[in-house]
Amino acid sequence: MSEKVIFRTEELCKNYGPTIALKNVDIEIRQGEIRGLVGENGSGKSTIMSIASGMQKQSNGRMYFKDKEWNPDSMIEAAKEGIAMILQEANIIPHVSVAENIFAGREKEFSKFGIINVKKMNKAANALLRSYQIDHIDASVNIDRYSFEDGKLIEIVRAMSENPEILVVDETTTALSLEGRKILYRLIREMANCQKSVVLISHDMEEIIEQCDALTVLRDGDIIGHLDQKEIASVSVEKKIRYMMVGREIGDKYYREDYDVSHQEEVALELKNVSSGSIKDFSLKLHKGQIIGIGGLSGSGMHQIGRIAYGLEPLEHGSVQSGAVEIKTCLNAIENGIGYISKNRDTEALILEGSIKDNICLPLLNSMEEATFISPRKEKSMSNREIESFSIKCNSSQQWVNTLSGGNKQKVSFAKWTAKGSDIIIMDSPTRGVDIGVKQAMYQLIEKMKEEGKAILMISEELSELIGMSDELIIMKKFKVSKVFQRSPDLKETDIIEYMI
Amino acid sequence: MKSNEMIKQNKQKIGIYGGLVTCLIIFTVLPPLRGQSLWTVSKLSTLMSDVIVLALLSIGAVFIYSLGNIDISVGKQVGIYSTIIVALGNTTDSLLPGILLCIVIALVIAVINGSAGDLLNIHPIISSLVFMMVLGGVSSITYTQLGTRNISLRTVDYSIFKNPLFMFLVLVIEFIVIGYFFNYTKFGKYAKAIGANQQVAKQCGIHIIKYKIISYIFFAITIVTASLFQMGYTGSASDSTGTGFEMNVMVALILGGMPLSGGMKSKVIYALIGSLTYSLLNIGLPLLGVEPNQVFIIKAIIFLIVVLLTSRKKYGVLPR
Repeated sequence: MSEKVIFRTEELCKNYGPTIALKNVDIEIRQGEIRGLVGENGSGKSTIMSIASGMQKQSNGRMYFKDKEWNPDSMIEAAKEGIAMILQEANIIPHVSVAENIFAGREKEFSKFGIINVKKMNKAANALLRSYQIDHIDASVNIDRYSFEDGKLIEIVRAMSENPEILVVDETTTALSLEGRKILYRLIREMANCQKSVVLISHDMEEIIEQCDALTVLRDGDIIGHLDQKEIASVSVEKKIRYMMVGREIGDKYYREDYDVSHQEEVALELKNVSSGSIKDFSLKLHKGQIIGIGGLSGSGMHQIGRIAYGLEPLEHGSVQSGAVEIKTCLNAIENGIGYISKNRDTEALILEGSIKDNICLPLLNSMEEATFISPRKEKSMSNREIESFSIKCNSSQQWVNTLSGGNKQKVSFAKWTAKGSDIIIMDSPTRGVDIGVKQAMYQLIEKMKEEGKAILMISEELSELIGMSDELIIMKKFKVSKVFQRSPDLKETDIIEYMI
Repeated sequence: MKSNEMIKQNKQKIGIYGGLVTCLIIFTVLPPLRGQSLWTVSKLSTLMSDVIVLALLSIGAVFIYSLGNIDISVGKQVGIYSTIIVALGNTTDSLLPGILLCIVIALVIAVINGSAGDLLNIHPIISSLVFMMVLGGVSSITYTQLGTRNISLRTVDYSIFKNPLFMFLVLVIEFIVIGYFFNYTKFGKYAKAIGANQQVAKQCGIHIIKYKIISYIFFAITIVTASLFQMGYTGSASDSTGTGFEMNVMVALILGGMPLSGGMKSKVIYALIGSLTYSLLNIGLPLLGVEPNQVFIIKAIIFLIVVLLTSRKKYGVLPR
């Protein structure tokens, strides 16, 4: 790392109407460093870099890149000049080939007399993919055939194809598997070695501590402090960062501390020899007051189990039972007190272009109506109650969900089912992209739900939270149960991983 | 600076209401200079009879536009229903049998239009296209068989449908009824949710096809109502009755500010504002001395301005 500053901001501000996202932020990024930006949801960490990469304009303040004033009009312009950003959300062009995605905006390089040489483009794209050790993606194939994760890898390659001076990686790793992460980490290292800079925005404390040379902590649009390499290497750094992020001691209580696995006798939800798609003959009994965790790699079939239990997948064999009722559709499920939090929060769990109120009340409308009439006052008080109990950061219940930060969005999708009073909650990756403060609140909520006798099926890619929260932990591999663990203080991640891979 | 911000934030509202208000101001101030006036009983009655059919249709169409769907069979439906009401009116000496038959047909079409998209996995506009062609064909065959291009009511008294006050009353009632169902019941709320994100709607336990059909049924009832007034203005129907109405409805809704993608931004008032603006232009421009054959061009320009102000999508990126 050199001492040369490649990018800096001066009194950078950003407001969204009355909401202040950034207050006079001064930040410097040096050449060849891997800088971590951490902070709770809504602290402004993505906002800074999204302004730097041309996605949006600042309300006030100046930026300098390579000693010149920096004011990119678009992400394309910024990427051409040397600041590329990989976003949290999917950012691919659907329905076209992988190669066309990688070289979007650069077709001229492959065309003669206005006709694109597709073969040449595919070849170049494949070569590029291989140079990052990505062997399983074929550039000539339609991108729709690849998963969200592969899409992310393709985005990374696209960002790198312009040889950026600064690469911004915004919450990307949550979407990646171990393999994908390795590719990304290797690439980040290589960049730093070549005197290029990387800004890593992440909630994953371990990742930040492991990967970054320097850290900047933000809270409520303000920079709280910086940590250098020495400080990052210290033993108590995690606690220190948490303290800086939240602004108070959040205590050590994070996951459940009890090891009491008792639950009620009554079975709340049962999957009886279910077969659907690749899942064959799967059975599960979830009791009232019990938390069952399901872990595995993302392709292990665990996500399908959640969808099956909620009546979203057609069954070839077997049945899903809640009490005496057979669950065949989502409506059956909801009427029997089952709630489902999809892992695809932005596409399946929330109406982004709708208000918090609309989202929270949607499953409730049936029970709210009186002779067809749904009282706006009731809707409002119901959503305000949930906003308060989850402390969702917003101006009012009328605010649109797409204006909320990731953690607050997730709170809304939880609030839907607590407002409905669901007794059985299926949560798929409930803390994906959510910061520590919110995570802690959610774990407490889940624990409280257990005490209230609610049944919880928690599907997650994060082993630590599964170990920390579940009474019983089912590990899946290749669409089958590979091992079942009982809650125990001795259970370690290392014991589990061998059953996953 | 402050006022600039205000304008920026309320650009959409200014576009929607601004169009109507500007039209009202221009058509109030300018015509007197040429010895004309909009605010006379006769001109207002003309306005009422110009706007009634379009407004009735557009208000009902809000239900299906909010789903993100577009219906283009509505013009031909109006044509067929007007024909049926006149024909059965002449054979039975009452409008009622015709109305009932139309309601039955409209319901059948609504069920098919509402469910075909999801059942057959086709774009919902396809089934309405098919109905447009089928009904057009039926109308053409009917009038060829009759050996005439138009039929008129002979004995039944239809004068009530020519009464501007009655038109106004029906319009207000429909606005209130549709407004109620759209804003204060699950029918409207579900329609908007389906339009905004069908996956989410499904996972919230909404029976997608059922509520799509219900939305089309609301629309169907308003089509029959509008057909009555279309038929009642002259007491007749012809093979060209209703031609182009589907486009007028679309223009009125877009003028009013309705998002074509549907969803939570959909509002019933947009239909009213849009059709009023549209008719005001029809009535007002000739008062300014614009030749009737030039009205189209001017409407197109105004349409473009309003659309540029209201309908352009722009996603801001917000704090996270």
